Amino acid sequence: MDCGTALGKIIAKADGLLPRQEEAELAEHLAGCPSCAADDAATVATGPVLRALAGIRAKEKAPALDAMWTRVRAGIEESRGTRRRASWIARWAWIPAAIALAASALLFYPARTNRSPFHPTSFDVAFEDVESDASTVALVDKGEDLPRVIWIIEDAKS
Amino acid sequence: MNERDGGGVTDDALIRTTLAGDDGAFGELVERYKGRAFAVAVGIVGDGDDALDVVQDSFIKAYYKLKEFRFGSNFYTWFYRLLVNQAIDRWRKSARSAEVPFDESWLSGDASPPGSFTYPRTPEDLARDRELGDALQRAVGALPEYHRAVIVLREVDGMAYDEIAKVLGCSVGTVMSRLHYARVKLKESLKSHREG
Repeated sequence: MDCGTALGKIIAKADGLLPRQEEAELAEHLAGCPSCAADDAATVATGPVLRALAGIRAKEKAPALDAMWTRVRAGIEESRGTRRRASWIARWAWIPAAIALAASALLFYPARTNRSPFHPTSFDVAFEDVESDASTVALVDKGEDLPRVIWIIEDAKS
Repeated sequence: MNERDGGGVTDDALIRTTLAGDDGAFGELVERYKGRAFAVAVGIVGDGDDALDVVQDSFIKAYYKLKEFRFGSNFYTWFYRLLVNQAIDRWRKSARSAEVPFDESWLSGDASPPGSFTYPRTPEDLARDRELGDALQRAVGALPEYHRAVIVLREVDGMAYDEIAKVLGCSVGTVMSRLHYARVKLKESLKSHREG
């Protein structure tokens, strides 16, 4: 067995994927090849060293880890408060929106005929006759899109 | 892996109790998994304080997502998906992620005879060999994030390939190829330390 093949088998062995027969062949190679034996030892050691490293960190942080539920509970309470506020806002946000809408309606859609209706200046507008029995006049937006009715006057009354 | 404690309470039962309004049951789940979760988180983010934050945030996220948990499936796998994503996000945001270049010199050099060198296998042994711990930490930090997650889930937590695939949302083949790559890199760093 050459060293390249052995390296592949060393990794496969660590993954538990090397058949027993090939493992015996690998062991034979490792016995006579210090370089591959060093590879094998390092590969085998990876798991234990990583676990030992995690163990050291856990030991350093043991008090904080012991209090994890306290931390989590505090975090849950905090985000519960935030969620409650967000839900309260969502529940009542329609009120200012409705007030704004009503104010707009009062401003732009006067009920009395002696008040002139709002004439938008930012639109390219024109008066057009619309064929109908009631002789309705429409104010039409002449934008890039299709003409759009934005105000209607029936029988010369708004 | 629907674990039971001494009183025989399953994860599913604790989840149902939590959903019924008893937060104490969720506390049981936290106590049950916090140690393993920390080991995985610290393996991915490297820093103990960051790992504590990751574990805490993951449990809080899990609490609010508990309604989405499918009973009969594995809580641990479901929770680990949140945990690993949280840890990877944390790693990406951390400045440290940009400060750990992979040192190619670890990959060079001829092997020396094995001699009587033995690698530490316990936290106490490793604590005596700080350089090795630091070298391995740097090597882990230099791995691409999903490769790091795979090696940590496999070697630190002992997860099976199919469980890792579920946690990371990839195929078993991808898990195996990432694991292979990670093993080669970490092996080289350990070997280099031994030779140095």
